[in-house]
Amino acid sequence: MAEPQKRGYLGCSFPVLIIIVIIALAIIILGFLAGPIGSKLIGEMEWLSWMSVDEPEPHLPAPVLFNVLGLPITNTIIAGWITVVFLVVVSWVITRRMKLVPGRLQAAFEFLLGWIYDLCGSIAGEENGRKFFPVICTIFLFVLFNAWLSLIPGFGSILFGHHELLRGANTDVNTPLAIALVSFVFVLYFGLKTLGISFFRQYFNFGPVFHSIGQVFKGKFNLMGIFSGAVGVFVGLLELLSMFIRIISFTFRLFGNMTAGEILLLIAAFLVPWVLALPFYGLELLVGFVQALIFAGLTLVFVTMAVSPHEGEAH
Amino acid sequence: MGGIVDELGINLPTLLTQVVTFIILLVILRFVAYKPIMRMLDERSKRVKESMDQAETVKEQSAHAEEELKKQLGEASREGQERIARAVKAGEEVKQKAQEDAKKEAETLLNRARAEIQRERDDAIGEVRREFADLTVLAAGKVIEKSLDKEEHRELIDKVLEESSTEKKE
Repeated sequence: MAEPQKRGYLGCSFPVLIIIVIIALAIIILGFLAGPIGSKLIGEMEWLSWMSVDEPEPHLPAPVLFNVLGLPITNTIIAGWITVVFLVVVSWVITRRMKLVPGRLQAAFEFLLGWIYDLCGSIAGEENGRKFFPVICTIFLFVLFNAWLSLIPGFGSILFGHHELLRGANTDVNTPLAIALVSFVFVLYFGLKTLGISFFRQYFNFGPVFHSIGQVFKGKFNLMGIFSGAVGVFVGLLELLSMFIRIISFTFRLFGNMTAGEILLLIAAFLVPWVLALPFYGLELLVGFVQALIFAGLTLVFVTMAVSPHEGEAH
Repeated sequence: MGGIVDELGINLPTLLTQVVTFIILLVILRFVAYKPIMRMLDERSKRVKESMDQAETVKEQSAHAEEELKKQLGEASREGQERIARAVKAGEEVKQKAQEDAKKEAETLLNRARAEIQRERDDAIGEVRREFADLTVLAAGKVIEKSLDKEEHRELIDKVLEESSTEKKE
């Protein structure tokens, strides 16, 4: 038997589609008129003022809402806790009754974690991947859901005193910096644990140049040896510097992307209320995913580099 | 420098709080998510591996059994063939024997009949001869008008007859 013929477009019958299109067009036009651009062009329209959005005043530092035992609690900290609670509750609900033949939710969760696990395995190798997986996966999940939960409509519109109660944790520079520091310590820890003291040899690479200078006293003057030794010292110090710069680049990559995204959404909602923000929501979903993947993936790459012996560089 | 830090909102308490938050999340997720999930993934991959191994074994076994069966079938078929051949041979033998027996019997019968006939003929010839001798004697007596002593001439007649028969044979 043939399927019933679908009439109309996009699953709607033709009149319904026309009505939807008309409503959408009306919202777009009204939103445009209500926004600042329309107001400037045509003039203020009182009857549209209910649609317009106040001009956003983005500020980078997160406001302190209250103090607990002398610790200032900002709205970004609360948002971070909400992410934590969300992740823990979801994981607990899913893994409480694990089945060998998974249900839909379990399968989706297993797919996500299994994907990251495979990523760890493919980059760091089977054995190391297993060791790195928890931290990498936590970075990924924390960054991702900090970003995505702050995209839930109404997230930023609950007020607490003069400030929003919630603000995406990634948009406070302290959160990316905290994760970057964790990533740094994680890399350092595994580098030291695996390579021991020789982990530092790639950063303080004085061995060859001292060896060459020692050769001079023995009567063998080797200019090339001294030169390459000096280059080795320089490269090692650069490596050391780059390791610390990584913290900064990690921090500001995430912070910049997320803060810019949030400001972009606010501005879009201000310029053309109700309409313009929609495509940027889709973009921000993608950006949140990509940033989480970058943060987790780069940490994974750095830690993999840290645990692999640098035999080629230690002459 | 301090201006930039203030402008960005970096402050130690918040930073430490976020680090602690992250570590708490890491620790809890380790127990709530990663361990169960890893266990499940490991168990599943183990199961899959096991069942694949099992399938391999079963396949091998079935192949083995099939081969065995084929071999047995071949053997049985060969045995059947052999039996049939033997039976055919036995039948042939029986037939041949029966034929031979029949032939022998027939021969025996024929021989006996032949012997009987011979004997009967001999008897008949003897009878005829005797009759003839008597008749001859009688006739001779009649011819010479003299009764011949039967017993006296018997010997003579026999001799004549003997001669005649030998002559005839020659």
